[in-house]
Amino acid sequence: MDTRASSITNPYNGPLEGDNAFAQITHNVTRIMQAPRPPLAWYIAFAFALSLLGVFGLSLGFVVWEGIGAWGHVHPVAWGFPIVNFVFWVGIGHAGTLISAVLFLFRQNWRTAINRFAEAMTIFAVVCAAVFPGVHIGRPWLPYWMFPIPNQMQMWPQFRSPLEWDVFAVGTYATVSILFWYMGMIPDFATFRDRSTGTVRRFVYGLVAMGWRGSSRQWHRYERAYLLLAGLATPLVLSVHSVVSFDFATSQLPGWHTTIFPPYFVAGAIFGGFAMVVVLAVPAREFFGLKRIITIKHLELMAKVILATGMIVGYAYAMEMFVAWYSGAMYEQFAFLNRAFGNYAWAYWTMIFCNVVSPQVFWFKKMRTNVWVILIVGIIVNVGMWFERFVIICTSLTRDFLPANWGAFIPSPVDYATLAGSFGLFFTLFLLFCRYLPMVAMAEVKAFIPESHVHDH
Amino acid sequence: MNSNSQKPKYWRSLAELEADPEFNEYVQREFREPTEQVPLDAPGRRRFMQLMGASFALSGCHWREEKVLPHTTRPTGQVPGVPNSYATVMDVAGVATSLLVTSFDGRPIKIEGNPKDTTTGGGTGTFHQAAILGLYDPDRSTKVMDGDTPSTWEAFDAALLAAYQDHLKSGGAGLAVLSGSHSSPTLARLKKTLLEAQPAAAWYAYDPSFSSGRERGAELAFARPLVPLYSPSRANVIVSFDSDILSGSEPGGLGYSREVASRRDPDVEGMSRLYAFEALVTEIGSLSDHRVAVQSSRIAALLVYLEAKVAAVVGRNPSGAAPSVEALGGEKVQKVLDVAISDLLANRGKSLVTIGSAHSADAHALVHRINFLLGNVGNTVSFVEKAPQIAGGVDELARLAGEIESGKVSTLIILGGNPVYDAPADIPFEAALAKVARSFHVGLYRDETGKKCKFHAPEAHFLEAWGDARAIDGSVRVAQPLIDPLLGGRPHIEVLARFLGLPETSSLALVRKTSGLNGDKAWSQAVHSASYGPKAVAQDLGLPELTLAVAEPPELEVLFELDPAVFDGRFANNGWLQELPHPLSKQAWGNAALVAPETGKKLGLADGHLCEVTVEGRSLSIPTILSPGQAEGTLAIALGYGRTVAGVVGGFMSGMEEVEVVGSNAYSVRPSKALRIASGTVRKTGGRQILAITQDLWAIDAIGKTGQKDREDELVRETTLAEYKSEPEIIQHKVHHPPLLSLWQSPVSYEGHKWGMAVDLNKCSGCSACIVACQSENNIAVVGKSEVAKGREMTWLRIERYYKGDEKKASVRQQPVMCQQCENAPCEQVCPVGATMHSQEGLNDMVYNRCIGTRYCSNNCPYKVRRFNYRNYNLETIGITPYTPTEDRGAKLKAMAFNPEVTVRSRGVMEKCTFCVQRIQNVKIVAKNNHRPIKDGEIQTACEQACASGAITFGDLNDPNSRVRAAQKVPRAYELLQELNNRPRVNYLARISNPHPELSEDDGHKSEQHH
Repeated sequence: MDTRASSITNPYNGPLEGDNAFAQITHNVTRIMQAPRPPLAWYIAFAFALSLLGVFGLSLGFVVWEGIGAWGHVHPVAWGFPIVNFVFWVGIGHAGTLISAVLFLFRQNWRTAINRFAEAMTIFAVVCAAVFPGVHIGRPWLPYWMFPIPNQMQMWPQFRSPLEWDVFAVGTYATVSILFWYMGMIPDFATFRDRSTGTVRRFVYGLVAMGWRGSSRQWHRYERAYLLLAGLATPLVLSVHSVVSFDFATSQLPGWHTTIFPPYFVAGAIFGGFAMVVVLAVPAREFFGLKRIITIKHLELMAKVILATGMIVGYAYAMEMFVAWYSGAMYEQFAFLNRAFGNYAWAYWTMIFCNVVSPQVFWFKKMRTNVWVILIVGIIVNVGMWFERFVIICTSLTRDFLPANWGAFIPSPVDYATLAGSFGLFFTLFLLFCRYLPMVAMAEVKAFIPESHVHDH
Repeated sequence: MNSNSQKPKYWRSLAELEADPEFNEYVQREFREPTEQVPLDAPGRRRFMQLMGASFALSGCHWREEKVLPHTTRPTGQVPGVPNSYATVMDVAGVATSLLVTSFDGRPIKIEGNPKDTTTGGGTGTFHQAAILGLYDPDRSTKVMDGDTPSTWEAFDAALLAAYQDHLKSGGAGLAVLSGSHSSPTLARLKKTLLEAQPAAAWYAYDPSFSSGRERGAELAFARPLVPLYSPSRANVIVSFDSDILSGSEPGGLGYSREVASRRDPDVEGMSRLYAFEALVTEIGSLSDHRVAVQSSRIAALLVYLEAKVAAVVGRNPSGAAPSVEALGGEKVQKVLDVAISDLLANRGKSLVTIGSAHSADAHALVHRINFLLGNVGNTVSFVEKAPQIAGGVDELARLAGEIESGKVSTLIILGGNPVYDAPADIPFEAALAKVARSFHVGLYRDETGKKCKFHAPEAHFLEAWGDARAIDGSVRVAQPLIDPLLGGRPHIEVLARFLGLPETSSLALVRKTSGLNGDKAWSQAVHSASYGPKAVAQDLGLPELTLAVAEPPELEVLFELDPAVFDGRFANNGWLQELPHPLSKQAWGNAALVAPETGKKLGLADGHLCEVTVEGRSLSIPTILSPGQAEGTLAIALGYGRTVAGVVGGFMSGMEEVEVVGSNAYSVRPSKALRIASGTVRKTGGRQILAITQDLWAIDAIGKTGQKDREDELVRETTLAEYKSEPEIIQHKVHHPPLLSLWQSPVSYEGHKWGMAVDLNKCSGCSACIVACQSENNIAVVGKSEVAKGREMTWLRIERYYKGDEKKASVRQQPVMCQQCENAPCEQVCPVGATMHSQEGLNDMVYNRCIGTRYCSNNCPYKVRRFNYRNYNLETIGITPYTPTEDRGAKLKAMAFNPEVTVRSRGVMEKCTFCVQRIQNVKIVAKNNHRPIKDGEIQTACEQACASGAITFGDLNDPNSRVRAAQKVPRAYELLQELNNRPRVNYLARISNPHPELSEDDGHKSEQHH
């Protein structure tokens, strides 16, 4: 049977393989939570993530104490790693919503196996991203001044600033993503509640399950709400990174001032987000025995998305260069020439290799179905996407209009610690999620396994 | 206090009652002067007030202890919170500059030039601007020291007096005084008194900046002690040989800057033409129309050639045979020189030839002779009779060292100066000093010399005591104090007067007696205008025969330069000056061997590479900077760095606190026979040093170089006078852009005032006084070497230096860039909290309180003029901010230098040039109270006021008669990056050169093609 074709065209013959009966699925997902202790690998990973999180806390504490001079920012490179990390994490956060909302609306049912933790990944990535705008500012105790909080002094944010738009775009995105994620988990929380043994667990899962009994009416409401939220979240996939790209596109800086940025950023975000899903899915299915739920076919489909979005990103890179050349604007031309051949050419070519060259292996089915290749390319693409933001943000700033201002950006050790630490936060949250929350949307998966549609045959 | 022997009558703690030595030391440290000066057993109100004051605030403002009583009647003319301005004078190495010092509630906070000073035209140099910081330097000496133990002025006076008495018996034999260069008539008078009383005593003067050429050249030329005074404003043609006459550290440099600049306006008739033949790029060289890089050692040949040609035309015997083309340095040099000579001859009586202070008296004499032959004397050059001055060079120091070595000096009084540090390498002055039985040092700092002397006493800062000095024209200026000595110092004249046992010892009485002015009116007038005494213009000059030796130049000449920031090292502990980038290399916090690029590349040297410079067998390890435009085969090192006992800013090697030494000490290789122009060798030693450079180096990658070259013509626009005259619009055609439209109408109509500025690139020589003035006026933090090396310096105003042409023949362009106060400001639109706003008068106001530090404004500013407080610089460098009160005395002293009208920024906020908004407001308030409009020129920004050449003009663009409006209307006015439609309020006036029609581009002039 050609499952590859049917997985996309025929929702009733989903990509789930074998004889996973409903109970089997429930068992597979809930046993992680039910187990008295997770696998050793989880402990090792958690210890590692927790220590990275410690590094994050210490480095941010140091920055708040010392001033952001502890980072490598200089004149003229006023935005460095924190903003690079912010854009990187916001980008990662795209795949979740795309998988849950857009693919849902397009009835891509293969998404059910991965949507839950893609959504979780989105939330955690947005959490990581949200840390940075707050601490990167010179006076990190005052980020709330960017919120329109009524006050007796009538001091309001300045709504012409793209940073202000960011506040709303990211804020909305985070809110909707969390709602969507949480709502999707309610039926599964109920399963967890029912299968929990400890009092605390039963109470907590019971609380978050919000009295889910699985009645038809509840299911009806649930489906409606899910559809509505999916509809609401879909434009956000496009809007949030478009708005983030406005930070750059609306400015005057050569290398930032580019109209292609919104679609380019969105494509890049989906590209990076899917790569991150792959990076998380491969070990997760390995360690938690979910190979039969998240199958190689899922990974293959994601590899295709990575290939496609990678090509879009590559096109955007080429188009930037072309437009710079075609514009005849001296400063613009220089910015791109400098990007490719200047002091930071190594970063540019790293980006090109990671984002444009490496996904090309996915043209081959053999590569698309090899978990190791998928994992490695996923990691490479994530590195590349981080470098993309570094190239755009930092190298454009190093050389702008007046040559007397040209400078160089050399990250400080605190920069690296913050970057590594943000992964600590991400992985800590993710590992906790794996252990305590339904990693796979059981209810949704069950709806699409062949057994659900036995009467149609 | 002698509490060891006797219990105190009043006591502050048990520790004191029990005479705990630790406590005594503490008291010594904290309350040295007042408790010392008054005998303990002399009770009374004063004593009571001191002790009460002390116990109320166990540390703190001891400099105000004598002013415990409030004014019950307010003194006339003093309103609390309203600053006053007082005239005074600063003497740097014997040259007086009249200043106006702003005093805020009794403390001086800002120094400006005195517009009444005809020799400066109201300009100031970097040293003058930075003197305020020097006044409040807690590293200044605070204690009289007897060896390494604290002592008292009484003991010091007693020791001095004993020495005086001892030597009186032998008529002064064995008594020697060593001072720096001073033009003070009072000091000269006291010197005379000393030598009359003790004829066998000797007075030596040594100043490392002393130029024997400048001091003795005129005497050689005319057989009379004369001082040349130039009038460059009368010269149509100026030919400069290694000449630094525009430099703020040169006598008359400030005034000459103004005069030269006055003839560089292409929009009025009679623009002068400047030729420069020089090894390094001097200020006048960077302004010149034709600049030829030649080794300093070749200048003599050029002068002989020039003199021979001129003498032949005017019918005189030449001083020497004309040198060959090779001796001149090639055909190209000769060609430009020939054209320059023809220009000089065509402008006889209206031309000027100048030479740098590095050159010998013979060379100076020849230049005076050339001016004489050209009929310039009496027109562009005049000579005044040399006033009696205390000035001396290395020969006097060598003589003193010799006398000491032969055991003839038993008492040495060192008045200022720092010979242990700055003596030439082959004069072992430190060793000699150790052999003097009784040595006294009176200086601002207990420096290298102070530490080696038996006695050290603190000198009063020039703002703390009365004094006098002569300007370059010989007129005497009176310096009045602005504040009582903060740290208990005394001026040299007071120390000397006590030494001599004169009846009057106060500096006021001494200065007034010297002036001979009778009556309070004459005196106060002299103080007010800060000048008395006419200048004597010498007539009837004879012309003795001269010879100038022409020698073959060495393969590598090592040039010792006076540093534009720390001078000879005396300002090494001044943070503003240490952080001031060198006008050419843009290096702050240190010096480097500036090497011509060709020469450096031959040796494999690049920027930051360590090299070893060897002169007469002595070597110095120093980092290199390749300096385009410099003559091949030259290497220049700035003097004044490598101080080991300067202070916490300038370096401190011994003692409790070790501070990194700043730069390399060029004195350690400076030979006494060739003080400025020596020959030596250099080799690469390997290793690199990170330099604190504020502007990218020449040696950037190929793409960067091309990118820089492409845009230079748009950023620093220039053309020739001929082209400009024939097509005035040529400057506007340097950039073509589509019509500039805005998305929205300007919300501000700019009724009332509309502030604007014009910067004339034809006048700016890059002296950098504006940078220090801005730093002083606007409380700009000093960030330190490592932060500057990262690129985090805070200066609101920077001077961008560009090189034009290839490396070998590069010429320099200087462009001051401050906030352009755009009408359509990109910074304002991107701030998420509205911390930078547009004022009704068109200023981009920066609201520090509102700023949260997103730095988006800086990213979106195409001029990158915004500076961010990445750290709490004021807390780190001064130890105090308004938000962190401190009890630290030193920190409080430093904080006194703050301008109370400008917010002191803390960590995490953005800052930038405000067009000195506080000055605007002050004038507006006064004008409004008096119901009158603001006069044009009434508001001067700090940079404008400091600029000696008048390159910066500020004013109201709505005023139809304002200078700035006129300046912005000339066809050469352009906006920087106007194609971005930011509509900046600063206009640059393009650089228009005036090349000789016979000289093509290859001959030192580079014209850009019209496109």
